[in-house]
This record gives sequence, C-alpha cells and structure tokens, in this order.
Amino acid sequence: MKNAKVFISVLLMCGLLFLSSFPASRGPLSLIRIPKGPGFPVYVLSRLQIDVRQELGSCLLALADREDIALLRRNGVRFSILTRNAANRDILVVRTDSPDALAALRSAGKAIAVEPGTAVFWTETGSPSEAVPAGLPRKVLSSRTVRVDLRPAVGAGRPAPQAVAQDPLIDMIVDLVSTPNLSSGVQSLQDFQTRYASTSNCEASGQYIYNVFSGLGLDDVRFAPFTFAGSYSSQNVVAEKAGETYPDDIVIICAHYDSTSPSASRLTLAPGADDNASGTAAVIEAARILALYPLDFTIRFIAFSAEEWGLYGSRAYAAAARQAGESIVGVINLDMIAYANAMPEDLQVIVNPASGWLADRFLGAAVNYGPLGATKTVDASFVYSDHAPFWDGGYPALLAIEDNPLTNPYYHQTTDTLDKFNLDFFTSATRASLGLLAELAQPIKAGYPKTPVGLSAAPVVYSSLFNALKVVRLTWSSQSDAAGYNIYRTNLSHLDYIRINDSLVTGTTFTDDDVRTDLPYFYVVSAVGGTGLEGNRSREAGVTPDVAPATAALRTLSSLLLAGGQ
Amino acid sequence: MNLGRRIAVFLLVLGLTAAAQAQELSLSLAAGSFRASEEAYRGIYGPSLPFSADLWLKLKGHLGLGAGFAGLSDEGRAVPIGEDGAEYPVKFRRTSIPVVVYYQLDIKAVGIRLGAGFCAHRYEETWKTVDLEFKGNKVSPRFFAAATVALLGRLALFGSATYDTIPTGASSPLVIDVNLGGIQILGGISFRIF
Repeated sequence: MKNAKVFISVLLMCGLLFLSSFPASRGPLSLIRIPKGPGFPVYVLSRLQIDVRQELGSCLLALADREDIALLRRNGVRFSILTRNAANRDILVVRTDSPDALAALRSAGKAIAVEPGTAVFWTETGSPSEAVPAGLPRKVLSSRTVRVDLRPAVGAGRPAPQAVAQDPLIDMIVDLVSTPNLSSGVQSLQDFQTRYASTSNCEASGQYIYNVFSGLGLDDVRFAPFTFAGSYSSQNVVAEKAGETYPDDIVIICAHYDSTSPSASRLTLAPGADDNASGTAAVIEAARILALYPLDFTIRFIAFSAEEWGLYGSRAYAAAARQAGESIVGVINLDMIAYANAMPEDLQVIVNPASGWLADRFLGAAVNYGPLGATKTVDASFVYSDHAPFWDGGYPALLAIEDNPLTNPYYHQTTDTLDKFNLDFFTSATRASLGLLAELAQPIKAGYPKTPVGLSAAPVVYSSLFNALKVVRLTWSSQSDAAGYNIYRTNLSHLDYIRINDSLVTGTTFTDDDVRTDLPYFYVVSAVGGTGLEGNRSREAGVTPDVAPATAALRTLSSLLLAGGQ
Repeated sequence: MNLGRRIAVFLLVLGLTAAAQAQELSLSLAAGSFRASEEAYRGIYGPSLPFSADLWLKLKGHLGLGAGFAGLSDEGRAVPIGEDGAEYPVKFRRTSIPVVVYYQLDIKAVGIRLGAGFCAHRYEETWKTVDLEFKGNKVSPRFFAAATVALLGRLALFGSATYDTIPTGASSPLVIDVNLGGIQILGGISFRIF
C-alpha cells in the first residue's frame, strides 16, 4: 500500500512536470487587418510587439494570437480579423485591379479584399501560388515582422530636388551600354523556352547567369538557394563587386530571371522577354561594365528566382540580409523595362514613402544618363516585384517598370518575345539605371584624393542657465592625400547636399552650429587634394538633434562636477 | 508706472519718513563670495565674487532700514550634453537693489543685525561667441544677518551673510525653473555718516 502511494505521487509529479514543459497556449494565430489613418498609433504596435507582416498603402496586415488581440483591444487599436487560422500557411497579397480579377481569385481559393485593388489569398490545400489565376501579380507575406515607418514621405510637399550634376566619368561608363549586348542577353534567356521557377529550364537559366557573371571578373559569384511553396526549390544568383572604401555598404541592382505564362503552357513555354529577361540582361550589362572600375561601395548584382510565384527568391534574400544586419544603401529593381506602348515612353519609378530619395535620384540619373523621362510614384501598396521584400526589411528600394498599370499586351503570354521590344527605350532605361548605380557606388577616379572614411555625426547640446545651442559634431579619419575637406549637409537623406564650410577644413573635425532641433541632418565629407581636385563623398552620417531631457543633462553635469570640472 | 519707478518712489517715501526719526546712517562697502543654490549655476560659473554698497539707517529703538546696490559678474562655459568637443564661453551679470528692515543689537563695539526684505534683480546671460542672450528681472525675498565691529572713529569692520531665493520661471535643457538664489558671504568696511 505504501509503495502504491509513493508510486502514485511520483506519477503525479512527473505528470505535472510534463504539462509544465509546454508553453502557455496563446490561442490560434489570426491574420488581422489594421487600418491606417490620421493619428495611427504605430508606436502602440511597436510597443505591443505586434507581428506586422505587410504594410500596404491604407492598412497593415499582421499575425496576432489571442493575447495580441486582447492587447490591441485594450489599447483601442481598430482592427478586423481576416482569418483565425493563419498559422503555418502561405498567405499571398494579390493585386486585383478589377471586380473580375477579385471574382477569379475567389473562385480559386479564399480571397478577402483588404483595400481597393488588393486582396489576401490562401488555399486550404496545395500551394496558393499555383492556384492564383495567371496574370495576377502576387506577393507572399513576409516571413518575419516588417519594419513599419509611418512618417510622412521623405521630402513630401517640397520642391523637386536638385539633380545631381552630371559626372563625366559616369557619362563615360553609361556610354559603354551596348544595345546588341542587351538584345543577345534577352535572346539567350528567351531561348530557354521557359524559366518558370519550378522547371529544370529555370535552373539551367540560373546556371547560365552564374556562368556569365563568373566570366566578368567580379569578386564573388554564388548561388543562394531557397525553398518555396512547400516542396519546390530554386536559387538566386548573386554576384559582387567589392567596394574598396566601404566594402560593407552595399548597393543592389536586381531583376528576376524566372518567367511565367498561362497555366497550360508555363511549364514548357514562357519566354518572358520583357518580364523579365529585359531586367536581367540590364543587370548583367551593368555588371559587365562596372566590373572594370574600382568603386567606393560594394555592388551586388542579383538575379532572383520565383518572383512570379510570389517573390519567394527576394523574400529569402532580403530576410537573410536583414538577419545578417547588412547595410544596404539602396536597391534598384528592374522589372519589365523594354516595351514601349507609345513614344516617347517614360519609365515608372515606384517607391514606398521611406524610399522617396532613391526615386528622386533615379529621376536625376534618367535625365543625365538616359536620357529618359521618368515618373515617380509613391505607393506602399505596389508590392508585386522584388523591391517589396526590401521594403519589408526597412531598406530603401525602387522598382523601375515601363508602365503602371501595365500596357504590354504580351505580359505573361507565350508571345512575350524580344521582337516586341523598343530597343532605344530598353537601352535608355539601362543607361539610366546604370547611371544611378554608379552614382551610388562611386567609381574611384585616378589622381583624385581618396574618399574619407569613418565619418560620424553626433548631436551635442550646449546649455547655459537660460539658453541652449544645438550643434552637430562631425569627425572622420584623416586621409594622407588630402589637403583639406569639404563638408556637405542636407535635410533629405542622399539629396540636395549643400556645402557648409566657408573655407577648406584642414582638420578632421567640424562643428555645425547652425542646426534646428526639429529637423534631421545628414552629412557627407569629401577630400580635396593639393592640386584642388575634389574626390568622392564619404558615406552619409545623420543625426536628429533633439534637446535631451533635463534629467540627462543634470546627470552629465553631475558627472562633470564629480570629475572636478568647473 | 514700472517696477523700477515704484521701488524708487517707495524708497524715497520710506527714506524721508525714516530720516525724520533717524539716529544713525552708515555706508558699507563689501565684497565676498556667492554660492548659488542651483547646481547648474555652480557647474557653469563656479564660485562668484559679488560686491555691494549699502546704506544703513538706524531708527529709534533697535529697528533700522537698509537699501543699496549689489552686483555680480561671472564667466564660465556652456555645459555639453553629449560628447564634448567645442567650447562656448558664457557670461552672467546680475545687479540687485535690496530694501530691508532689520533689528540691531549692540553689544559694546559690536553691532549685530538680523533682517529681511525684498530685492529687485536684473540679470543677463550672454554667449560670447554665439548670438544668444537672455535678460530678465525679478523681485524676490531676502534674508540676512550682518555684523559691524567698531574700529577707529567712524570706521567699522563689516560682514554679512545673505540668503536669496530667486525663481525666474525660465528653463533650459539643464534646469527647469532656474533659481538664481543662494548664499552670499561678504566682508568689508562700514563708515558712519552721522
């Protein structure tokens, strides 16, 4: 009897231990829609650690468990539940420009409109990517929490930015763009018949791109494999030209090399010349040309796969880059840049609010190096190409595309072939893209002083009893070939720099005491040689000088007094 | 009528009224040290060297009236909040006109005064290398203790300790509601006029 009691006690204790090893259940995972609007409490979402997986123009899509939902309700955040069963399933955001498109999507699975022209879509079984009707652009939800930035668009409401002056070296570089090279690149990709991401032809085309990159004398060429839609795998092709001054700061030019066509033919015939052999050929041409030049910043030339399935290749790449904490200066995504429905054709440049500067720089490069007309559109809901996963990661990225909405009648058809191209437009679009890429990566000029490194900008508030002065203190590393330095400043990152030093700065520090508390400031420094030649500008350093709270100030003061200061 | 004129009229009336009953009038000149109660003030300017000139009118009995002029001028440097790099010298000036009532106790050659009153202050802070300045004025209470020790004839040694609290209502990143008050210790001489 006694043994039985001991046995039962031990059994109960083991049972309790076993149960306690499970985490407390937080209930089913729901997909919720949180509308944006005036006074939207983004800080509340951040504070509550809500798992936002997609930012759109008018709303956010987030995954939330029972506890999150209770928190949102307690904090007065408006939201609606789209599905209570979002765990472990691919959910797509699909562009539905017409009621017919939405109806077609609903006939293929579960579709819910989340804003005009946008629906979320999933299927109970199978891959939703394969179920989406052909021709509807789609993006799979981010694999991790996206960075939401609801500040007003950078530079919103301001005059058009000053175009960056045309650089003779970059002019020479873009003159190397060869229309025959572009055409033959498209033809080579088109010749794979199909590059639908699940096919062996797509894999072969990836190998072809790898081989081309490998023959250009770049620093590194590699495959970046990933899985998608459950059981498929494919690989991005990544080539790198390492920067000599800032090897860890990366500019990306990318395009997807996979293609599609109607479901009946896509496994055998999807030439995808405009979509997107055109962008891929432009990336290869940019790599061919810039491989010849030493650069300040690293460039990665990337051909993504499985874009047509829902941006799986770029999603995997951008998530890995964010995970690794990579510093990506900007992403230029080329997708359909060779078809012109009317001349003169202009290129559409699409950005989210945080990437506005990149579009402005593209517009300047289009004028300087296309020459080409270009139109900027700020639309956080345009998430249907490989720039969007970079937006999710908080990186500046743009999409360059021939038309929005598309006018190419051969889009996603078996007739999307090279003979439909306007080669002049294709060449100009490539020149403009290469021009911006070179501007961002900064070719190093022989005979010019080296680009300054180590620039840091620190806000310092100097306070007396009744007054305070906010300054920004800049420091950088000395360059042996520099006779002095010029300091440039702007309130808009990467745009409209103005020189702020009256005479050449001979030291390696500078204090800017002409700043306001309510504006961000961004700085770059360039070195001037003994002969007066001015080199490239450093990477940007920025600050938002805010008045520190009095308590922090007093702490500083106390430490000074303790240290025996006045 | 502005504050300065009101004080002047008040002083005149008070002086005339008091003079009718005056037993003794003396002038003191003193200088010394001021320790601000505000930590930030001490951090920026350190110990100060104020000076004052006061007239002391002793009435019948132990009561008396005092009025005068005091000044303070300091130099220091602005406090950096963040990584220090540059130096911004600053200058502070304060002038004060006190009017006090006191009780005097004479023990042989020593006279001890305890009193309170008001003090009108005018102050100004200026940044030497940047176009920044602040000016203000304030009337505040004053409490003091003073002593004289007779020397020769009309001359006496003079010493005083004064406490002011001067909340200005102004703030900066360093201080919320700057108080310019503190304790002032002065020493000097006193000359008996009659």
